[in-house]
Amino acid sequence: MIQIILNEWKILLRVRVLAYLTLFFIAGLTLVTWLGVIQNNNQQEQQQAAQKHVREQWENIDAMNPHGAAHYGSYAFKPITPLSSIDEGVNAITGNVLRLEGHVQNEIVYSEASQSLSVSKFGKLKPSLLLQYVIPLLLIFIAFASVSSEKETGRLKLLVFQGASLPKLILAKALSVWFYGLFLLVITVAVQTLINLKNTGAGNIERTFFLLLAYGAYYYTVVTLAVYFSARLKNNTAALSSMLAVWIIWTIFLPKIWGNTTDKLYPLPSRQEFKTAMKEDRSKGIDGHNPSDKREEELKQKVLAEYKVDSVENLPINFDGIVMQADEEYGNQVWDKHFGKNYDILRKQKNMYQLSGIFNPFVSLQSTSMGFSGSDMLHHLDFLQQAEQYRRVLIKSLNDKHAYGGSKTGDWSWEADNAFFKSIKDFEYKSPVFATALNQNLIDILCLAFWVVLATVIVALSASKIKLV
Amino acid sequence: MIAIQNTSKTFKGFQAVNQLSLAVAEGEIYGLLGSNGAGKSTTLNMLLGFLKPDEGKTLVNGIDTSTNADESRKQIGYIPENVNLYPYLTGIENLDYFCKLAGKNYSKSELADFLTACGLQAEAHKKRTETYSKGMRQKVGIAIAYAKKAKVYLLDEPASGLDPLASNELSVLLKKLADEGAAILMASHDIFRVRETCNRIGILKHGVLIKEMQTSEVTANELEKIYLNYMQD
Repeated sequence: MIQIILNEWKILLRVRVLAYLTLFFIAGLTLVTWLGVIQNNNQQEQQQAAQKHVREQWENIDAMNPHGAAHYGSYAFKPITPLSSIDEGVNAITGNVLRLEGHVQNEIVYSEASQSLSVSKFGKLKPSLLLQYVIPLLLIFIAFASVSSEKETGRLKLLVFQGASLPKLILAKALSVWFYGLFLLVITVAVQTLINLKNTGAGNIERTFFLLLAYGAYYYTVVTLAVYFSARLKNNTAALSSMLAVWIIWTIFLPKIWGNTTDKLYPLPSRQEFKTAMKEDRSKGIDGHNPSDKREEELKQKVLAEYKVDSVENLPINFDGIVMQADEEYGNQVWDKHFGKNYDILRKQKNMYQLSGIFNPFVSLQSTSMGFSGSDMLHHLDFLQQAEQYRRVLIKSLNDKHAYGGSKTGDWSWEADNAFFKSIKDFEYKSPVFATALNQNLIDILCLAFWVVLATVIVALSASKIKLV
Repeated sequence: MIAIQNTSKTFKGFQAVNQLSLAVAEGEIYGLLGSNGAGKSTTLNMLLGFLKPDEGKTLVNGIDTSTNADESRKQIGYIPENVNLYPYLTGIENLDYFCKLAGKNYSKSELADFLTACGLQAEAHKKRTETYSKGMRQKVGIAIAYAKKAKVYLLDEPASGLDPLASNELSVLLKKLADEGAAILMASHDIFRVRETCNRIGILKHGVLIKEMQTSEVTANELEKIYLNYMQD
């Protein structure tokens, strides 16, 4: 088998067109990766500067009413993961800045797509585009004639006659093309790692390894099937057209068809429906029978009883702060209910989509690529959740200060000092650990492993059926 | 060394080979003449172990080629009608690769010796075979079989498309191999080349061996007459 692989490589290296193509690809991939890293780093620097500026503003707040500060608010910036320079996933369309303030959970804004020129709205040239679409195509073009040309020239008979077994021959030919794909892949990742050395932490090494594994498994599947078609079908044209058809179905049709099916099976409410339901629950109560005025009255009676006074004016605390916090907590429940539903739907959609990897390994590749690059929807949702948790802590601190800081009910002119604002910690996003990413992409990894085994079994079982005469 | 015993082969109702029996001894070159579809290639493919006979046996050095194809192939040097080599590799690289597949690891000088022995000029050894003529490729094909140190050679239309000089060189080479003790079975419809090269000739028609003769018994003209007579019937 090694002899066949070495011979294939010797031939590949002498095909001038392929040599030029390889140089072109290496240059292209290096450039795209380098630009991706630069773009990432720039964005990261801008975010860090903005974050620093926002924090400085917060820390420089003079004495101020806490509720005023709640409206003044803060911002959470979604950090750029180092590997998103390879695959930016959903980042380009989801936005990366979230305004955090009292009473309301804002939507994340400033997506790259919304700020780009119309042409780049359709996706930037990132290494993932080349690695997922172009390189597999190149591998198909190299592999499609690998066995059919041997058949057409009659060389296959001589090879088998000399002692090469058909399954080994086919597998060796597939492996030699696969190594070429791996070579391009490793160059891309090596360039990314070298340029981005300072950001390469332990978690990223594991993520990079699994990224390589996922792409490696996909390339193996594509190449083995291309060589299989080459061995089983009558001629080069049939082999190429069949594999191209598979590629088109995998990359264009099935993801769209399955995506739409998933949307139909687990539909998300429209923006309007969602906002209306939130507004309604906020005013009428989650159960529809507990409007806000009634809730406030119940809270007032409870607090008056607790402090054994007959009016809010006699309370030693500021009842306004308690009301605001209660309203906040009620709002949080409403948010948890509706966003929780959306989160569940999104997770179900994601799981359903991942399952299509059983018949489409491209989906599994895309999912793992985004997942291990930290740029998939699940990472985005994790950021939103952490930002929301921080917002709750921030607003509670401000409301508590307003309630228990020393002011009386109705005193909106009372101010907390600068030391208090400084004491509130800044938002710090903690990326999900590698194990979480691994767990979230387990279905994809299993699907890719299934395809590797399936492709190998297909070759092993069908090779003996190839007619030499 | 080569024995075909009462062998028959049918493809979807078409009788390609019918009760064929022949034997080729050590040092003998046997020419199997016949028109297209006479059953020559089917006979060779059964000896190569690519086809199983429906009846009878095909043996190479006593090994049944249908039940023990891998072992019998080790005994055989095979030269197809068109030796299609890897065009981006040189003659010596092609030979090296095919030898390694057969489990033979030769040094560069040994490989060069095989090519030279098979009539390929030294300056051509290191040229890519994309620049080779058909005759040159045929010589590399013979070198592949020769380097296997086989005692049995099976040739399928080896002179087809060769110029007279290359064709003559092929005859000389095959005679040399026979002198070294090889048994050679050559399927062809080139009456002249078969008459020039072989010791014994068999004429195959509709899968049946209808005539067998020693080459020394007939002149080229007589052979042509015999052949055409049988073919016209």
